[in-house]
Amino acid sequence: MTATLRNVAVVGFAQLPVVARDEHRMATEMLYPVVREALAQVGVERDAIDYQVSASTDYMDGRPFGFVAALDVMGSWPPRQDLHLEMDGAFAAYYAWLKIQTGEVDTALVATHGKVSEGEPDRVFNLALEPYYHGAIGLDPTSTSALQASAFMARTGATDADLARVASRSRAAGTRNPDAQLREAASAESLQRTPFKVRPLRDGYLPPIGETATCLVLAAEGKAETLCDRPAWIHGTHHISELQTIGARDLTRSASARLAAEKALAMAGLASAREVDLVELLATNPVEELILLDALGLEARSGGGSGPAINPSGGPLCAHPIMSTGSIRLGEAFRQLAGRAGERQVAKAARAIAHGAQGHCLQQNVVFVLGSERRWS
Amino acid sequence: MQEPPAEPVKYIDTNVRLPYHYVAGDYRARQLRAFKDRKILGSRCAKTGKVFIPPVPNSPESFAPCTEFVEVPDRGVVTTFCIVNIPVIGRSLELPYVAASVALDGADISIFALILECKPEDVHMGTRVEAVWKPDGERQGNHEDILHFRPTGEPDAPLESFINRL
Repeated sequence: MTATLRNVAVVGFAQLPVVARDEHRMATEMLYPVVREALAQVGVERDAIDYQVSASTDYMDGRPFGFVAALDVMGSWPPRQDLHLEMDGAFAAYYAWLKIQTGEVDTALVATHGKVSEGEPDRVFNLALEPYYHGAIGLDPTSTSALQASAFMARTGATDADLARVASRSRAAGTRNPDAQLREAASAESLQRTPFKVRPLRDGYLPPIGETATCLVLAAEGKAETLCDRPAWIHGTHHISELQTIGARDLTRSASARLAAEKALAMAGLASAREVDLVELLATNPVEELILLDALGLEARSGGGSGPAINPSGGPLCAHPIMSTGSIRLGEAFRQLAGRAGERQVAKAARAIAHGAQGHCLQQNVVFVLGSERRWS
Repeated sequence: MQEPPAEPVKYIDTNVRLPYHYVAGDYRARQLRAFKDRKILGSRCAKTGKVFIPPVPNSPESFAPCTEFVEVPDRGVVTTFCIVNIPVIGRSLELPYVAASVALDGADISIFALILECKPEDVHMGTRVEAVWKPDGERQGNHEDILHFRPTGEPDAPLESFINRL
């Protein structure tokens, strides 16, 4: 039994459709209309929001302290309490939730930006590895993911066809998401014919890298109901990190995702992830998805059957705007619970799990369990 | 088997190469194009009327959009300045020189400017200055189209006229 916490909800979410490259706007210029739209959704001016968190990485922005530029487009004057995270927005949302739990603030904006097309993300992520061995040999996210995929396939017997089926299901879902970057379905057979990028990962199993800006609005009970007719209440959340050294982890499992999910589900009062209607996972390839499903205690499936819908938005395999991909998972969970998911709406969605990850091979994981009713009375 | 090095390894060298291709953005691109015509553009806040240079899509101060582009004169006032006695990487300027904040007439925010064609001690808060442009046909639509600013010889601007535009 966990202690009674403040009921906090996602009450608004705005994003730009994900594109490979926006030629017309700088990162902050992309963020400004998104913050405005998020505020318009909840029907208040900036003055009504107590707190703000932004998520971005200076290496992606190509300038030190790049995050301070976001202040100019977030309505930060008169001066406000602000936090910046050099992590995906899903983690920023976690910190906003924590801040609201302190009772010091009731409402928060969680904004993300990342002008990924201006730099070379593979080079940036190489720098996230320790510099003496892993960084020096030129590892990038695709090659570390491929190492993980090989290990996973050897342990579980998962085949190339299994990976293709997972990717194909994502691609089919992505056709129903107007914010996705890849909106063309692809059969498992066609994906299995795409060339290997780094074996055993084929081009068709890797995400399209794109850019966007996003803004979530979080609010505590008392405020949330006035800002949104159908808030998505956060019933449980947890954030766990693992070792940086890839060789020191069991790459075929995600201990941190498992623990984060267990803690978040316990906080939510749920015995199992099977009790939710949909799951949005930050899985950047089919193997990550299979590892995360295992961590959540869910069966992999390729459509049909029982259990929650997996990435009904199409997931990162249809749009992977670095720094925003996790925020979008939480935003998608909100859209589903608020009945705003359009063609991809999961019928009668009342509970959802949103997951965010950062680092090579799912090094850090954050899990949210959300529901359409308040958790604590 | 190879012998270990006689001296312990104390350092490794790592070369980090991170190229970027920045998008100028439509607002700044419009300003840069205007430089070719010796024009300086700003954008006006829809709420407060304040003019920002370079043009930005929103006022950082009021959070309102800046949808209107306005041309401002290429002259203004030194609001604050410093006298530089050390060389700067990438520029070969005769020392000492003056680096100043210049509030252009009609702008509500100052820009950074190099002040030349005068003795450093002649520059002070309130000195009136004007832009010195590259000649016609040589301007490329970048920030080097304005070579520097120089005093106009006009009487000093009173402090009240620029104290809120530093």
